[in-house]
Parts: sequence; C-alpha cells; structure tokens
Amino acid sequence: MALAEPMTAHSAIAAWAAVDAPATPESYLQAARRRFMSSRVGLAALAVLLFLVALSVCAPLLTSYDPAVGQPVDRLKAIGTPGHLLGTDEQGRDMLTRILYGGRMSLIAGLAPVFVATVIGTALGSLSGFIGRWVAAVIMRTMDMFYAFPAVLLAIAISASLGPGLFNQIIALSIIYIAPIARVAEAATRRIVVAEFIEAAKLTGAPTTRIIVTQVLANIFSPIFVYASGLVGLAIVTAASLSFLGLGVRPPTPEWGFMLNSLRGTIYVNPWVAALPGFFIFITSISFNMLADSVRDALDVKE
Amino acid sequence: MVTLILRRIAMAVPTLLGVTVVIWLLLSILPGDPLAFLLPQDASPADRARLATELGLDQPLPIRYVDWLFDMMRGDFGYSPFRRREVADLIAAAWKNTALLAGFSAAFGLTIGISLGTLAGVYRGSAIDRFVTGLAIVGLSVPSFWVAILLLIVFSAQFKVLPAGGMATLDGGLSSFLGHLVMPVISGSMVSIAITARVTRASIVETFKAEFVDTLRAKGLRERQVLLHVAKNAISPVLTTTGLQVGFLLGGSVLIETIFSWPGLGQLVFNAIAARDLRIVQATTVVIAATFVILNLLVDLLQMTFDPRQKRAA
Repeated sequence: MALAEPMTAHSAIAAWAAVDAPATPESYLQAARRRFMSSRVGLAALAVLLFLVALSVCAPLLTSYDPAVGQPVDRLKAIGTPGHLLGTDEQGRDMLTRILYGGRMSLIAGLAPVFVATVIGTALGSLSGFIGRWVAAVIMRTMDMFYAFPAVLLAIAISASLGPGLFNQIIALSIIYIAPIARVAEAATRRIVVAEFIEAAKLTGAPTTRIIVTQVLANIFSPIFVYASGLVGLAIVTAASLSFLGLGVRPPTPEWGFMLNSLRGTIYVNPWVAALPGFFIFITSISFNMLADSVRDALDVKE
Repeated sequence: MVTLILRRIAMAVPTLLGVTVVIWLLLSILPGDPLAFLLPQDASPADRARLATELGLDQPLPIRYVDWLFDMMRGDFGYSPFRRREVADLIAAAWKNTALLAGFSAAFGLTIGISLGTLAGVYRGSAIDRFVTGLAIVGLSVPSFWVAILLLIVFSAQFKVLPAGGMATLDGGLSSFLGHLVMPVISGSMVSIAITARVTRASIVETFKAEFVDTLRAKGLRERQVLLHVAKNAISPVLTTTGLQVGFLLGGSVLIETIFSWPGLGQLVFNAIAARDLRIVQATTVVIAATFVILNLLVDLLQMTFDPRQKRAA
C-alpha cells in the first residue's frame, strides 16, 4: 500500500481486504519462503555459494591445467600472469585450477560432517527427549563429556589417531558436532512432547519410533535445521584447519586449507598468491554464516 | 555457599574422568599398532610378547585404562622415543608458553569484544552498531590461520616490523617480548572478539529493556550512571562465554603456534602428529581438556560470587 496516498475510507477498506483476502492462510513454510526471498543478504549469500559450487563442479570445463601437476619453470608466478590468472604455486601448478578443484574437497569436508552429525544427533536427541528417564540420562550425560573438550582439539586428536585422509577427517568432524545437535534436538523434543497431539498419538498405541518419525521430527525440524546450518560455516573453517595441519586429503589433491599451509613458505616471494586459498575459505564460510542467519530469521526460530 | 561451591567442584570430577575415558578409548580402540614404533622391523614374536607384557598391553582394556589413569595422576605420561624425553617434561615446558599466549589473547579478546559490544548495544541501530555486527560475522567466519598469514605477509614480509615467529622472554626487553606476541594474539583472538562483542551487545540491549532502567531514569539519574547499572547487570552472560572462548583459544593454539613457531602445547601436538607420536597427542589433549574443565569451573565459581541468582540455580 502506497503511504503517500491520503487514506480514504474506501482505500482503508481495500487495504484491510487485501490483507485478509486469501481464503487459505499462508502455511508456515510458505511464510518462511516469503521472508527468505525478501532477505537481500540471504539471497546474495546463496548466490555466492551456488556460484562457488558451480565453479568447483565445472572445474574440468573451466580450465585445461592439471591440478596435481605443474611446470617447474612456471613456479611462483604472481596474480595476473598471462595464462595463469591467479598465478602459480611453489610447484608451478596453476592456482586458479587448484582453487577450483580444491573447492570440491573443502565443501565436502565442511558439509558432510554437519549432515552426518545432524542425522545421528537428531536421532539421539529426539530419543532422549521423547523417552526421558535413564535413556536420556545415559545419552545426554555421554554427550556432556564432549563439551569438556575444546572442539577443534578433539577433532585434531581423533583425526591424528585415525590418520590423514578425507574420510577420516569427516569422521572426526562428525563426532564433535553430534553432541551440540543432540542437545538442540533433545531440548526441542522435550518442549513438544507434552503437546496434546503427542498424547493422542501415544493413545493410539503406535510404537515409539513411529511417533518420533511421524510426529516429533516434523515439529523439531526448524530449530535443528537452523542450528545445523549455522554450523556449516564453522565446519568449513575447522575442516580447513585439519587439512592445514596435514590431517585432511593427501597431496597432490588440492584442498584450500592444505594449500594455505604449503604456500606458507612463499610469503616472502609471492605473498598474495599464498593468501588466496584462505580468501576462498573465508568467503565460503561467511556466506554460509549469512545464509544461516537469514534462514533463522525466515523460519522464525528464537535461539 | 560453601556447600554450593563444594558441590560444583565435585561435579567437575566425573567430567574430568569422562575426558580421560573418551581420549583413552579413542586412542586405544582406533587402528594402529602401538608396538610398531618401538620395535625394529625384524623383532621376534617372543620379543614382541615380552614388550607387550612390560607395557601392560596384554591386560584387558579396563585394567589398562586404570593403569594409564593412575600413571597420569602421578605425573607419569610415558616416554617419547622420538623426542627422547619424558612426555611430562615436554608438556610442562610447553604449558607455560601456551598459558602465556592464551592469557594475553583472552585479555585482548575480552577487552576489545566488551568495548565494541557495549558501544553497539548503547548506540543500537546506529552506524557503529551495524559496523560491530558486521565485524562480528567476519570474526566468526574468518579462519584464524589465514589472518595469521595475512599479518605475516604485511608486517613481516612487506614492512619487516614484526618478527615472523618464535617467543621472546622478558629478559630480552619488553618491546621484543610484546613484538613476538602481537600477531599470534591478534590472529588467535578473532573468534573471541566476535563472540564477546555479540553476547555483550545482546545482553546490553536486553538489560536496557528491564524495568529498573525506567526507575533509574525516573529517579533522575544521568544516562552515564544508568549505563553503569546496566553494564553491571549485563556482564553475567558475557562471563559465561569466557570459558567457551578459552576453549577456542586452546584448540586454535595448535594452528597459531604452528604458524608462529610458538613453543607451546599446540606446536607440541602438531609436531607429534607429524611424527605419529600418539602418546604425546593423547597426553597433551588430556592436559588441555583438564585445563579447560578447571577454567570453566573457575568461571562458574566467579559467577556465583558476582550474581547471587546463580547460587540458587546451582
């Protein structure tokens, strides 16, 4: 409604009618989508992320260089060198190529653990919240143990004992994110477990697991989704940290965190190329964090 | 009050035990032959069996755990064949250096974070508020090791004003001591600044909504005096996060200390990982986790004295 127009009785009624007109009220998810679509920051972050994903998926189409093999004569070229837009690394490999391919590993290493931890954490948390009693005591007190560690350190310790590699890195990161997600799921489940529709479902004699799957999960989805999406940005950085320490993918496979470490020795000769992989970690992480903030606002979840 | 404090202290004991169980299980159950590093390739099965008996590896798991725990409580963390030193000695030397770095980082992070958060909370909706909120998102997203490398590029490689790594003692003069601290502290405390600023801002904004603020204003207090009361009431949630932040600092120390060659626990862990000396990784993780649990305990106790409401909650 245009505010400049003088408010006549007629336009007031029209405005009132326009607000209340839809015969079927907007559903929760429709409202969430409308709120998200009106968030410029969220849409921009989503666009950046889709662009990064597209770049890393289409890497072989965008560059003809081999990410693992370089030309020793072309070592340490600066940004903007013809033929090497983003320069070359200490082994003469094209940086643009390695950034594009490296994005695959960095994205997988950040997203996969959050997904795995969300599935396991939700199962553990909703079970504890729903059954309560000793089941909750055993599960949640075990989860508490994980809060006694600085998370990154625990991930490093687990990763170190499993040995380097993408798969082991994903396991290590999944373990550290299960506990916080289980807590969120448990709290959300306990809030709704007293609701009448749960009581009704119990009275039908349905088994516990079916009630959890059909009734509980739909109702605790929002807070868990919001929390998990907030973890992705952190997980991207933590995964890169592990790779930086040599606990991620094995060379010569490119990965942003590891690239940042192996270029550390070149900061005196080719400084800005050495800083490039970190820039991409940062852009990915901040985009996920901004996207998560918009999703939280859109789903209207209070932390 | 005394009973409450004692009860809170007693609650930390099972947590500490849990920490040791988790670490011990992780490193005992996971694949890897602990004897492979200690014996030559062509060792006979009889030699293997004798060493296994000597190290207690033929005992059932629970007994090995209890042995390990009691050894550790006596300060015996085992011997590192790679460093040719007692692990306990290595850890004791490194612990002080990490405590120094973490202490400076925590102090820096809290000071900057609380100042920024208070500014944003008092002038909410203003340009300062938007700046601080944006800065907090950046601080939470930026990899500390990238900040470290950017600082190195600018201050060590380009302008050559700060040392690229290492630690200096106070004997070498104050400026050298602080010069070695600047970059590790700044890069290590980014997350800390971001979290503190966020929590402080939220807490200040929330406290300003309380009824007592209207009462103070109605009484005729000047805005600056009102702010003092608000700040006093808003500090509790900020304190709660300090324990968490020390966790970030200790975990991040592995990266920061590696980059700046800071001779602390983090570097010890990194070098041990590279040498696959899991005994050091295990012991250091337990020591850092124990430090973390005890610090959180201290923060809780501090809060109980600051905020009388916490006493009832405990």
